[in-house]
Amino acid sequence: MGDRHNDENIRVLIADDDEHILQAYREAFMDSESTQEIRALDALAAELFEPDKTDDEEPHFDVVACSQGDDAIFLAKKAASDGHPFDVVILDVRMPPGIDGVEAGSQIRKLDPDIEIIFVTGFSDMPLEELQRRVPPPMKLHYFNKPLSFSQLALNVANLVREH
Amino acid sequence: MGVFIVGMFLILRAIITPAFEELELSAAYTDLIRAEQAIQTDIDNLTAVTLDWAPWDDIYEYVSGRNPGFEKSNLIRPTLTNLNMDMIAVYEMGSQLKWGQILVDGEERPLADLGILSPADPAFELLTRHDSPDGGVIGIVNTSLGPLLVSSQPILRSDYSGPVAGAVIMGQFLNVSRLARLRERTEVDMTWMLVETYVVEGERELSDIPLGELPVRISDEAVTNCVVLADILGLPYLLVSSKTPREITWLGQKTINAALLFLAVAGLLFTRVLWWFMKGTIIGPIERLMAHMGKIRKTGDLSDNLNLDSDDEIGLLAEQYDKLNSEVHETRAALLHQSFKAGKADTAAEVLHNIRNAMTPLINGLDRLGKAHNVTDGLHFGEAIEKLADPDCDPQLAGKYLQYLGASFDHIAAVNGEASGDLKIVVSQARQIVGILSDQEKFTNVAPVAENLVVDEVMEEAAHVLPKDSQTEIDVDIDEDLTKYRVRAHRTGLLQVLSNLILNAHESIQRSNAADGRISLSASDTVFNDQKMVKLTVRDNGTGFEEDVRYKIFQRGFTSKSQGENTGLGLHWCANAVASMGGRIFADSQGEGHGAEFHVLLPAAQGG
Repeated sequence: MGDRHNDENIRVLIADDDEHILQAYREAFMDSESTQEIRALDALAAELFEPDKTDDEEPHFDVVACSQGDDAIFLAKKAASDGHPFDVVILDVRMPPGIDGVEAGSQIRKLDPDIEIIFVTGFSDMPLEELQRRVPPPMKLHYFNKPLSFSQLALNVANLVREH
Repeated sequence: MGVFIVGMFLILRAIITPAFEELELSAAYTDLIRAEQAIQTDIDNLTAVTLDWAPWDDIYEYVSGRNPGFEKSNLIRPTLTNLNMDMIAVYEMGSQLKWGQILVDGEERPLADLGILSPADPAFELLTRHDSPDGGVIGIVNTSLGPLLVSSQPILRSDYSGPVAGAVIMGQFLNVSRLARLRERTEVDMTWMLVETYVVEGERELSDIPLGELPVRISDEAVTNCVVLADILGLPYLLVSSKTPREITWLGQKTINAALLFLAVAGLLFTRVLWWFMKGTIIGPIERLMAHMGKIRKTGDLSDNLNLDSDDEIGLLAEQYDKLNSEVHETRAALLHQSFKAGKADTAAEVLHNIRNAMTPLINGLDRLGKAHNVTDGLHFGEAIEKLADPDCDPQLAGKYLQYLGASFDHIAAVNGEASGDLKIVVSQARQIVGILSDQEKFTNVAPVAENLVVDEVMEEAAHVLPKDSQTEIDVDIDEDLTKYRVRAHRTGLLQVLSNLILNAHESIQRSNAADGRISLSASDTVFNDQKMVKLTVRDNGTGFEEDVRYKIFQRGFTSKSQGENTGLGLHWCANAVASMGGRIFADSQGEGHGAEFHVLLPAAQGG
C-alpha cells in the first residue's frame, strides 16, 4: 500500500445509486478546480491590484464515483494494489439492486484499515451503534444524513484528512 | 393386548407347565412305589402262609417220619390251589426232599423243572437248610420257569420249639396272570423283566446296573420309572418298571391352551369395549379437535370456537384450546395492528429516504446559486474603473484594466450560465419531491402487512393492469405451476411491483412493434444467502437492453422510455419496495431487441 499523503490532492471514492447525487458530489468536490480563463483572470488581478488577504489554501480532491457497492469494493481494492489508496470513501447505505453500503464499507475496511469511511444516507433504518459494530473502528467511521451540503461535506473531508 | 397375551403365554410356559411336569414326575414315582409295594405285599402274603405251615406239629412229625398220613391229607393239589400257590416243597434236615410239587398253568410239573432245587444251585442250600428257628428266607429267586416269589421257613413244633426238623418252601410265579392281577390291583401300568435281558437288550454291562431306582425316562407319551430288585442271593435280578402316561401334562397343556384362548377372547372383547369407550370419551372429542384445527388452518378464522360440551379432561383441554384460540385471535389482531403501524413506519422511512435523496442535489444547487450570487466578490471592478477614469493612467495599464474588466465580465457570464443549470436542477428536484409525494398518495389505503401470498393469485391480479384496449395484441402466459408457490410479502406492495413490471413489459413490447407480443409470468424455488426464496419472473419479448444498462435500470431517474410515457412507479421504487420485503430484484436481457426478464426474489412462506 502506498503513502496516502504524498499527493497534494485528497483521494475520494464516492458510491451512490442516484446519478443526480453523484453529479452534485462531483460539482462540490471539484469546485476548486480552476479553468484556464479563471487562472488568466487571477494572474491579471495579481498583476494589477494589491493581493487579497484571504487564505487561498483550498483543498483539492481527486474524485472517483460509482453507483454500486460491488464497484466501490473493486475500485478500493484496485487503488490499494496500485499504491494509491483512497483517503476517504463516501457510501450511500441503500444502493439497489446490489449489496448495500454497509456491506461494502465492511469489506473495504478489511482491505484498508486506515481509510476514513463516511456513510451518507437518506434512510435512517440502521442505528449508528450497528454501523460501528459492522464497520469498526468508530473513530474512522462517520455518518451524515441527507440532505446535506456537499460543499460543507468537502470541507469536513479535507479537515478529516488533514487531522490525520 | 397382544403383548399381554404373549406375556401370559410365556408365564404359563415358564411357571405353570414346569409345575405340571413336576407333579407328573411325582405321580409317576408314586406309581413305581406302588408297583414295588405290590410285589412286596405278595411276598409278605406268601410268607404269612408259609409261616402258618412251618411251625406246626403235624408237619414236624411228618418230616420226622412219624406222621405218614400228613402227606395224603394235606400235600395234595387242592391245597396248592386253595392257597393260591404255584409251588410247595417240604425238605427234611440235610436238605433231603420229602415232598414237592409245582403247578404251571394248572399242570402239575416235577419240582426238578424249577432247576434251582438241586445241590449245585447256589440258592439250594439257602432255601432248604435252616440251622436256627428264625433262619427263614423270603424273596425272589430265578428258576427255569421264570421269576418266583419264594418263602422258605424252618419246620418247628406248633409252639415254635425245635430243633429245626426241615424246611417248608412255598412259591408263586411272577407270570403274566400275576402281572395282570397286580396291574388291576395297583392300577399301575407295571411290568418286569430280568436284569439279564435288560443288559443284553440295552448292550449294557451287568456290573453297571445298581440295585434300587434307575434314572427316570421321559418321552412325549409317558414317564417310565424303574427299580432293580435283588434275588435271595442279593444280586440284581428283576427290573420292575412303571409307565405313567403324561396325562397331567396333557391336561395342564389343555388347561393352559384354554386359559390362553379365554384370555385372547376376553382381551379382544376388552379391547373392543375399551375402543368404544375411548371413541366416545377421548378419540371422538380429539377427532373433533383435530377437525377444528384443520378448519382453522384452512380458513384462518380463529374466532370460531370448538365449544366441546364435556366435563372430563378432554373437555378441559377443549376449553383451554378455545381459550388459547381466542387469545391467539386477539394477539393476531393486535399484531396486525402493530404490523400496520410498522408498515406505516416503513413507508414513512421510504418516503423520507426518497425526499432526502431528492433534496440533496436541490440543496447543493441552491448552495452553488448562492455562490453565483456573490460572483462579484473578490473582483476589482471599482478599482479598475477608478484607474481607467484617471487621466494620468498609463495607456498600457489602461489596456490591461480593460482586459481585466472584459475577463471579469466573461467570468460573471460563465458563472451565470452555471447558475442557470443549477436553477434547472433545483426546479427538477423540487418537482421530484412533488412526484414522490404524489406517488405516496397512491398508497394511502395500503395496509403494508406481510402475509403468506399464493403467487398465482397475485400474478393474475397484477396482470389486470394491462390495458384492455391495447392496439398491440399481447399474449399473457401465466405458468400453471404458480399455484404451488407461496411467498411472504406485503400484498399491495408486491401487487404494485408486479403491476409495474408487467406494465413496463407491455410498453417495451409496444415500443418494439413486435407482431407477436408475449408476456410470460413464472416462478421457481431458489436459495439466496442460505434462505429459501421464490423467484418470480416477468419475461417479455420487447425491446430488451444492453449489458451496461443492467444496474442503471434500477437507479432513480433512469428510464429508457420517451418523455411523457412514464406510467409506472419506476424500477427504483420497485427495487426499494422489494428490498423492504426482504427480497432482491434484478434484470436480464440478451441485448436490445431480444426482450427482457425481471426477477423478483422473495422469502418463501413457511410451510408453503
